[in-house]
Amino acid sequence: MSYQEKNITVSLVNFTLILGFYLIRVLQMIQGGSFNSTNVFRLWGTIIVLAVVVTILATILTHIVSGIIDAIITKQEPDIKDIQDERDTTIDLRGTKITYFVSSIGGFLSMLTFVLGQSPLIMFTLLVFFGVLAQIIGDISRLYLYRRGF
Amino acid sequence: MGKSRVRNNIRKLRFFRDEMTQQQLADKVGVTRQTIIAMEQEKYSPSLELAFRIALVFGVPLGEVFSYDPEDDPI
Repeated sequence: MSYQEKNITVSLVNFTLILGFYLIRVLQMIQGGSFNSTNVFRLWGTIIVLAVVVTILATILTHIVSGIIDAIITKQEPDIKDIQDERDTTIDLRGTKITYFVSSIGGFLSMLTFVLGQSPLIMFTLLVFFGVLAQIIGDISRLYLYRRGF
Repeated sequence: MGKSRVRNNIRKLRFFRDEMTQQQLADKVGVTRQTIIAMEQEKYSPSLELAFRIALVFGVPLGEVFSYDPEDDPI
């Protein structure tokens, strides 16, 4: 697995866990009757902090661990090649395009709930949901392009 | 998606250059080994610049490394 593929896999696992955590928290709030603006916006903040901090830490940790495993197996100094060539850039751009597309559709659907008379909290909750989902779909498409070729 | 219509002889040319490894070729042209693998499996068509760099490493004209298969060409 290349350096870029490892990064994408870490991001995919991380955002999938974040989405799971988010859905569980939202369901708990709805069931417990605490689905209000204070709790929803606090959850927004938690998700954003988790997305940034955990992704950075998990990526660094993954490369350290895989470097150690590599060194044990090959009995040589780990050689981490973090160059991004033209193929990586193209795959990244295609993944970003898919992320933006899903995110735009999600943004539109979220706004639609507001237009149809739902509470603004529903709209904000769905915005985060689709934002994280878009990142997951973008990562899956990147991994698919690495495996399948184009 | 899938197989590219651009064919290449990179594997053969590497063999005739004392079995040059994919990593050695990748280092010489400034890409990752995964990109060389994808090109050899015809899953990726390189940019014109990368194609020229590869031809330059092997010291042969571009046409000897890459060719185009017009079959199934939609044009």
